[in-house]
Amino acid sequence: MTMTQSDPVASSDHIRAAIDTRNQRGPLVKLRDWITSRPEGGIAVLFVTVQIVVIAAALANPQFRYLSDANIAVMLKAIAPLGIMALGVGVLMIAGEFDLSVGSLYSFCAIVTATLTAQWGGDGAEGVAWAPFAAAAAGLAVGTAAGLLNGYVTLKFAIPSFITTLGAMLMWKGVTLFYHGATSLRFKPSEPFATLFGGSVGIVHASIIWFAIAAAIFWAMLHHHRIGNHFFAVGGNRQAAVAIGINPMKTKLIAFGLTGFMAAFAGIIAGTRVSSIQPGGGQGLELVAIAACVIGGHALMGGRGSILGIVLGTALMFTIQDVLLLMRAPGFYFEMFVGLLIVLAVIMNMAIRRRG
Amino acid sequence: MTAIETIAPSEPPVIGLAPVGTPLLEMRDIVKRYGSFTALNGMNFHVNDAEVVALLGDNGAGKSTLVKMMSGINPPTSGTILANGKEVQFRSRADSEAAGVETIYQDIALVDAMSITRNIFLGREIVKPGGFLDHRAMEEKTIEILGSAVQISGIDDPEKEVGFLSGGQKQAVAIARAVHFKRNILLLDEPTSALSVRETEHLLAYVRELRDQGTSSVLVTHNIYHAFQVCDRFVVMSHGQKVFEAAKADTSIDEVTYHVIRT
Repeated sequence: MTMTQSDPVASSDHIRAAIDTRNQRGPLVKLRDWITSRPEGGIAVLFVTVQIVVIAAALANPQFRYLSDANIAVMLKAIAPLGIMALGVGVLMIAGEFDLSVGSLYSFCAIVTATLTAQWGGDGAEGVAWAPFAAAAAGLAVGTAAGLLNGYVTLKFAIPSFITTLGAMLMWKGVTLFYHGATSLRFKPSEPFATLFGGSVGIVHASIIWFAIAAAIFWAMLHHHRIGNHFFAVGGNRQAAVAIGINPMKTKLIAFGLTGFMAAFAGIIAGTRVSSIQPGGGQGLELVAIAACVIGGHALMGGRGSILGIVLGTALMFTIQDVLLLMRAPGFYFEMFVGLLIVLAVIMNMAIRRRG
Repeated sequence: MTAIETIAPSEPPVIGLAPVGTPLLEMRDIVKRYGSFTALNGMNFHVNDAEVVALLGDNGAGKSTLVKMMSGINPPTSGTILANGKEVQFRSRADSEAAGVETIYQDIALVDAMSITRNIFLGREIVKPGGFLDHRAMEEKTIEILGSAVQISGIDDPEKEVGFLSGGQKQAVAIARAVHFKRNILLLDEPTSALSVRETEHLLAYVRELRDQGTSSVLVTHNIYHAFQVCDRFVVMSHGQKVFEAAKADTSIDEVTYHVIRT
């Protein structure tokens, strides 16, 4: 380190030269550097490898119907609700907090939406057009409010969000049963809601389009907006963020609110797709969403992660589930594989980072 | 050095030297309590225009508490803070930023998982309409900052994650950031702890250079020799109070050392 103030242009030359060298790297070197430096690098390699193997197997063996339209349609549909939920969970993890209540909120907010839709006359094909939209807005508001409440309690009393949201998970589960009971609930919203959230373009279901839109918005927010920068800062080094003038309370509260919103959105999307809502349907999803984020390269302690990682983590989990279903493997194989995948993904990420 | 004597708790705090003219920043009768523990007890401190003040004292004397207060992240329990003669409240980092104070912290305030560019502009991002980051403008500025203020050995890519840097390089990034945004006062809290001998020499020379250009600094350090190289005035703290204050011309290394260790 030398300290001089003379001729700043000349003394920046070595930095500019280095940046030029970086920009002139060959595509393979660029790819290698991307894999070793990005949190989702490892999972991207794994994802591409798995896809190549599975597609090769499908081409070699016509009995293995991985590339059939029906299979692709089903797999995409399955990815969307968990992916939408995982976007919120992942952003909150980057900000250094957990939300275990998203599974319960997923069910509760969907039930609020379905109940209000029926009450306001938006049920069935001939129902009132605005009712499901208003009901969905109410469901999303409940989700957001619940997320903000988690954040408020966590930050106000300075307790681990793991504990706050563990309590919230049980509470919302109870509230769901209190509000609706344990029976499943029909949800057949009127048009155009049904088409907007439950229609298809070819083999692409509306839910996957909404997931893509949400992922694009979250990507812009997390990686290219000031608030995303602050999420990384409060999660990566809270003291540094405070010292530099970022309000960690406000920043984390926004992340909690987003997580609740996305849990509700996921529940409503899933409810519209299957036309019925199970009060216990979201149970366990919170851990699957966290698993998707960890597989996608998120640090458990915050400060590291990416939207691409969340998308790839979710997609990889469902690819494996889909392949197991196509091979007619019993359901518990899925959990075994996901369990292995979490540990493998973290080991691989660490190994790649160390080499980088 | 004479025999070591202990200060009686009843001894009144030293008021010290009166400010010359209107100081840039003045702290009057500052008290800071954490529960039943009193970290600062009637502390008076001021920084004049274009001077380098040494803030000395043993561990636990209250130096870091005072620095954090001047940085705005640790508001006083009672007392008065004046910026350019006007009474101000230092409740948040934004308040101290408005008063033109920049700090280089002892526990380096950088986020390891973020790039050098993002660290330098953290909380002060250059944004386009809507709050979206202007990556190009920030990278361009970072290149200038890294090239002009502090040339950091081995750092040639502003996109490099701070976690991959050495302790000295990290410190240099923190210094570069503070120097870039400083307006009136630079607070340096143990800035040389992670630096090599040569890097330390450069930093001290730079603090002198800044003073000659009109920027004041407060140097918190354990190294009285470093302090004597650059500082115009010496303030020694003990148990949350000022126990000694003198201009460089009126004191000696031995006298300052004596006051640091006798308490």
